[in-house]
Amino acid sequence: MLAIDRWAWTNRWRRYHPAEKGLLAGGMLLLAVALPAPTTGPVIIAVMFLATVAGAGIPALTWLRVMALPGAFLITSIPFLVLSLDFSSGLSVALSPQGWEPALHVVLRSLAAVSCLTFLTLTTPAIDLVPLLRRLGVPRPVVEMMLLIYRLVFVFLERAASARQAQIARQGYAGFRNSLRSLGLLVTNLFQRSLERAQRMETGLAARGFQGELRVLTPQWTLSQFRLIIIISLLLGVAATGLALDAAAL
Amino acid sequence: MSSIVLAASGIDYTYPGGVQALQGLDLTIEKGRKLAILGPNGSGKTTLLLHLNGTLRPSSGQILINSRPLSYDRDSLTAWRRRVGLVLQDPDDQLFSANVYQDVSFGPLNLGLSEAETRVRVNAALTALRIDKLADRATHMLSLGQKKRVAIAGILAMQPELLILDEPTAGLDPQGAVHLLGVLQKLHEAGTTLVFSTHDVDLAYTWADQVAIFVKGRVLKQGDAATVFADQELLRAARLKTPLILDIAQVLYGGWHACAADGPPRSRAALLRLLQESIDRSGRDGEPESIRVRR
Repeated sequence: MLAIDRWAWTNRWRRYHPAEKGLLAGGMLLLAVALPAPTTGPVIIAVMFLATVAGAGIPALTWLRVMALPGAFLITSIPFLVLSLDFSSGLSVALSPQGWEPALHVVLRSLAAVSCLTFLTLTTPAIDLVPLLRRLGVPRPVVEMMLLIYRLVFVFLERAASARQAQIARQGYAGFRNSLRSLGLLVTNLFQRSLERAQRMETGLAARGFQGELRVLTPQWTLSQFRLIIIISLLLGVAATGLALDAAAL
Repeated sequence: MSSIVLAASGIDYTYPGGVQALQGLDLTIEKGRKLAILGPNGSGKTTLLLHLNGTLRPSSGQILINSRPLSYDRDSLTAWRRRVGLVLQDPDDQLFSANVYQDVSFGPLNLGLSEAETRVRVNAALTALRIDKLADRATHMLSLGQKKRVAIAGILAMQPELLILDEPTAGLDPQGAVHLLGVLQKLHEAGTTLVFSTHDVDLAYTWADQVAIFVKGRVLKQGDAATVFADQELLRAARLKTPLILDIAQVLYGGWHACAADGPPRSRAALLRLLQESIDRSGRDGEPESIRVRR
């Protein structure tokens, strides 16, 4: 998760308007859902791979790693898509030959969809999407909570990591009993520290004129017409290619 | 005196649970000064600073702003904090936003400024602290020194008359500290009154106009840096060392009272100049032995 966040903040396309990246990912996602999977799916995966790796400059290995997690879930679920259950005479389980095709469809469709989201998560920090959410009508308190949680997760992780290091240095995780005890202590300690942190943060925010509303301005992004045109033609191109391949296969 | 912008008069404060942090503390902050609150760690300096911006309320005594006692209703506090900016020691307590630009924009927006005006202020603050390049970086990926500067920029964008900093150089490497002090010096020259807490005698001596020696919840003495540090008795009582520069000047001149018309050296550069002069003088006399410092 930290690696994803790091890339999201430092990739080559970081300074592009989040809406542009959102349009590309969202548009492809729609195509992945709407068009026939066996032909469109691979095209979308290829395009999103190129956009992420060649475009935004994310190492291919990182892309693979991020894809691997949902990918693994998908692959382990293939058997269950292929098996057919028959309840007519008791319970009988059989491999159904017709099951392969829909299973392949589901896998390709899902992988295509995952590749779209992988692109978005690797190129756009979650927090850049918040103004978009606000514009899409998500209520202010929810958005403010997201802002705060996003920041505090990292403060908390830092704390947890350094506390764990300190425990490891004193043999805190040598053996099962020690590990359990150390983990317990760590959790209690983090809880207490979080409360203290919350209190100090209240002071810090009050010093900055906090009056119950977390209003901030985001850096100004500029939408590039050039890139928008490319994205839209890419979407149309992928749709056309997918449909043409599908027609040729029939 | 009209030049006193903020004063604490006989304030006591006891933390819930009975720890008495401040007892009968007096302090005055004059306009356009650099005041160092000098004392050991854990002596209650932060508690004092939290009183100066109204976060904590004294159990007895008063905080006076422009010679009028402060009231603690919401509106007065808001108006107060508009004029008095407090930068906490740990920037993570102050930075709540995911990226630098957002975070710095928070204060000005709370003042009710327009979006356009806020952007101007944010850019000015980022430039003043020389962190424009960090504007769209993630807060959690900054170094401590960078975080500190962002925290200061967040307060600076509110353009307070009085800037209070809790241990501004704590945790910074020497270069980061020098950089930060340079920025603060510029702000000071532009008319901002500065108050900072520190346990570093050398920093207080070289950098502040005024020093308040703070021990066990009280200000033992407040005055010009040169006067305060001349009081050996006081330093002993406060368990503070003499600043290194003063120590050397003293050895050089056999008691710094004798130094020069313009008083003892206040900066490293001034001290080095004096040393050089002294060496040159002895060189002219043709007595190489006299380079030896007098005792």
